[in-house]
Parts: sequence; C-alpha cells; structure tokens
Amino acid sequence: MDIYQIQDIDHFYGDKQVISIEDLAIAPASIVGLIGPNGSGKSTLLKLLCFLEEPTYGTILFKGQKKSLFSDGVRFSITLMTQEPYLMHRSVFDNVAYGLKIRGDTKDIRNRVREALDLVGLDPENFTRRKWYELSGGEAQRVALAARLVLKPEVLLLDEPTASVDADSARLIKKASLQAREEWGATLVVATHDWQWLYETCDSVLHLMHGKLFKGGLGCEVYGPWRLGQKNLLQKELKDGQLLVAPKPDEGKHMAVLDPSRLKITLPGKYPLLEWDVDTLNGFVTRLFLERNGNTVQTAIKVAELVITVRMARKRVEALRLHPGKEVTIAYDSRDIEWF
Amino acid sequence: MDFFQEGFTQAVTLLVNRDPATYSAISATIRASSLAMAASLLLGIPFGYLLGYFDFRLKKFIRIVVNTLLSLPTVFIGLIIYALLTRNGPLGEAGLLFTITGIAIGQTILSLPIVIALTATAVETADRNLRITLMSLGANRFQIAKSTLWEVRLGILAAAVTATGRVLTEVGISLMVGGNIKWHTRTITTAIALETSKGEFGMGIALGLVLLLIAFTVNIFLAGLRRRA
Repeated sequence: MDIYQIQDIDHFYGDKQVISIEDLAIAPASIVGLIGPNGSGKSTLLKLLCFLEEPTYGTILFKGQKKSLFSDGVRFSITLMTQEPYLMHRSVFDNVAYGLKIRGDTKDIRNRVREALDLVGLDPENFTRRKWYELSGGEAQRVALAARLVLKPEVLLLDEPTASVDADSARLIKKASLQAREEWGATLVVATHDWQWLYETCDSVLHLMHGKLFKGGLGCEVYGPWRLGQKNLLQKELKDGQLLVAPKPDEGKHMAVLDPSRLKITLPGKYPLLEWDVDTLNGFVTRLFLERNGNTVQTAIKVAELVITVRMARKRVEALRLHPGKEVTIAYDSRDIEWF
Repeated sequence: MDFFQEGFTQAVTLLVNRDPATYSAISATIRASSLAMAASLLLGIPFGYLLGYFDFRLKKFIRIVVNTLLSLPTVFIGLIIYALLTRNGPLGEAGLLFTITGIAIGQTILSLPIVIALTATAVETADRNLRITLMSLGANRFQIAKSTLWEVRLGILAAAVTATGRVLTEVGISLMVGGNIKWHTRTITTAIALETSKGEFGMGIALGLVLLLIAFTVNIFLAGLRRRA
C-alpha cells in the first residue's frame, strides 16, 4: 500500500491557489524529490504531507487513512525539517532529546542522542553541552536533522536541507538522510534546488510549477517582456538577439515554461533535416550528468540567459558526442510552450 | 536639602535597629505584592499565551482593551475594589476590606494587564518556525504551549519585572482598600504618604529608600533567573 495517496487537492491562501494536484501516490521507503522555482509550492506541499495544514479541498491519505494534525499516528510518524529550522533556546542535547522526551521515550536517551549526533557528523563529546547560539549555520542545520533522525520517523520531510550550508555540512546532511532509509526504511520527501543530488538519489522526482505537477521534467521558465510577432505569436528577444516564440497566454498567466521533454537536441546546421515545422535556438552544453539509472543523461544547455536542462538518452548523447562547451541547436514547437 | 542626608541616615538606622513599625510596613508590602504577583502570573501567563498564540475574531479588540487597562489609575482600582468589598457592597460578606488580601486583589487587577499584554507580545513575536518545529517533532497542544512559553521566558521575565515594579510602588489601592492601618495594612508607600502629610520628610525619604532597596533585591533575584535562562 502507498504511504501517501493524494486525491484532487486544491489548497488556497486567501484567494490565491497555491497547490493543485489531481493524483499522486508515494510508495513506502521511497525517496521522492521535489523541485521547482521559489514560490512553486514545495514548502506548502511538505506542510500538507506533514498534516500541519489541511488542504482546502481534497484529501491526503496516510497509509490509506485520513489523518489530522494531532492524531498519534501522524504526530509520531511524520516529521518535517523546515528550510530555516528553529533550534530551541537550550543545549544541543536538549534540542535533540526534545522529541523523545515529549513521547515519554527516555530509555537510553543519552546514547540515542549521541548516535543521532554521530549520524550527522557532529562529535557528541564536543556538541551535547553547547548552547544553541554556539553553533554555525551548518552545525545548527545538522543538530535540527539529528533531532528528527533520533525519532526514527517513518516519513522524513526535508525542505531545502542544504540550501544555506557549507559544502561539508551539505554532504553530511545528504549522507545522514539516506541512512534513514537504509537503516529503518524511512520514506523521504526532499524539496531542493540541488537537481544533481535529486537525480543521483531519488526514486522519483516531482517538478512543481505554480503549485501544479509539471510532467515534462525540469521546466525552463521564461519571463517577459514579450511582444507580438508574426502569425499572431508572441516573441521574446533573448540577450543574444535570438527570438523565442510562444502562443498567446490565457489571461492572468505571465510566465512561459519550456517543456524539456518536448525539445529535440541536434547539432548546428542539422535542423533543416527535422521533419516538423520547428523553431530553433542555439546554445552550448554547460553540464552533463549521468542519472542513477545509467541510461539517461541530464544535459544543461545555455541559450543566452536561459539554462535549459534536457533529459537525453545516453546513446543519443554519445552519438552527438556532446561535451561541455559543445554548440547545439534546440528545436521546439512554439505551441508546446505552456503558460503559468 | 538636608532631608536627603537625614533620610539616608534614618533609613540605615530604621533597618539596623529593626524598627518594628518599619518592619511591619515592609512585611505588609511584601505580603500584598507577593500575593498579587502570584495571582497575576498564574492568570496572566496562560491568558497572554492564548491571546498571543491564536488568531480569532475578537483578538484585536481584546488587545485594545488589555492595552487600555495598562493605564488604569490606581485610585480608580482602589475605589472600585472598595465599593465591592465595603460592608454593604456585593462582596462585603467576605470581610476583605482593610486586609492584605483586599490590597492584593486590587494590585492583581493592576498587574494582570501588564502580564497579559507583555506575555502576548512575547508569544506573538516568537520565531514563526517555532510552532512548526514543535508540531513536527510531535508535541501535542499542551506541550506546544509549555515549550513556547519556555522559549519566550525572557519576555515573561520582563513582564514580571515590570508588573512587580508597578505593584510595589502603587499607593492608591493600598490606601483606599487597606486603609493604612498601623501594624496591619500600612505598607511602605502608604507610610510615606502619611509621614509626608505630617511634615516628616526625612522619615518619608527613609521609607522611600527602604522601598528602593526591596525593589533592588527583587531585581537582583530576577536578574539571576535571567542569567540562568
């Protein structure tokens, strides 16, 4: 049975719709990545999954049952680490032990706190007695993670856990989070901008765009100004003078998103051979990254000020002999550009 | 200007010689204000938490009322309590007029809005992530309240310091509800008022200095608590 089943949820803050998801299931002991621009609804979705907020419409089932915030099944099973986790004004030990104490689960508490600190790479000898203000940003983030890992939660929700920490802390946080699944089969939902990490570790990656799941992958957002061009289409002049063409948006929508799954990558000069009526953009490869499955390569292409990340078959990448710095042509159908 | 020198010397003499009337006034002051502070903290902290933590329809209006009550004149409170406790008043049967308990009731009304308003502000201005953190670590409603209050303990301590200052130094309630009865309900402030009216300025200043010394001691104790917090 899926640990989460989301059915037709719509969530509003006042009049503003922040989440709209028709159907989503999360399998137990899976690692799910959440990616999307700031304001796309990642943090809100995590709060909904933690039952800190109730969706305005629709239901979220946890292990097949509807749950509320303070029900024991939820309180003791799901935990969330927010982007800027709050450390209580107490010692590191008391911060990490807090969750266990309120559960009345204090058996062998000293050793359990030490183990949790070890897990996040903090030496218990040095850290248990420190006060909350005696920690660096990265250490504070790791103490907050230890406070959650010590509870051995069934579901660990992490909101941009590595956004504002140094590289070493980020590495330790990633390692400790993965251990949660390995050691006790925790389900992880991680919101982050670190797409490389997501594709390295996640079983599935969800792309959120304006509160909706975007099926095409890592969508590339394009902001205005737009002007009216030929065939009643809109044109956006990129910084290097190339034109991006898009259909007219519905009222109230102002951000165009290129769906990378619908783009074709080829070498410059080859696009006339493509069969369909296409528009093209020229750019160059900036990064290539092999996904965990070994068959797909995330290819980042810089086109003027845009960075378009396309998932390509490894064989195709090899056939085109792509490497960072290589010039490529992106062929797209203007009708496929979506507006949000 | 010799009053000050005379007052200082007299203050030391009163304390060193354990002057019974002075010590009786010190005792009455401490008893009344301790009772009042205990009651106002006991009632004010939970009410302040509710007002600061939850959003509800009449919240803004209640905040305005509480803030208005911060300006309550002590003689007005004295008058109301007197009217309630007097033999023919609605609570006359209780026999609390001209008692320390009567003074404490009036002083509680004086200090309660201070404790409520400052606790509510401390809770309102707590980090917005505190609530989510406590909830996501598994705290229930009561544990959230307890932990939130502990997190804002310095704000609550500030409320206690402010309210204690107000209670220790008020004169209107003690005079009207207590009746300034020697050996019984005469507090330091009512004694100062009496000595001044008799023209005994030196004695008045001496008692004023004694009151300041008590306030100083209380604040040393609270500063110790603050350091530990």
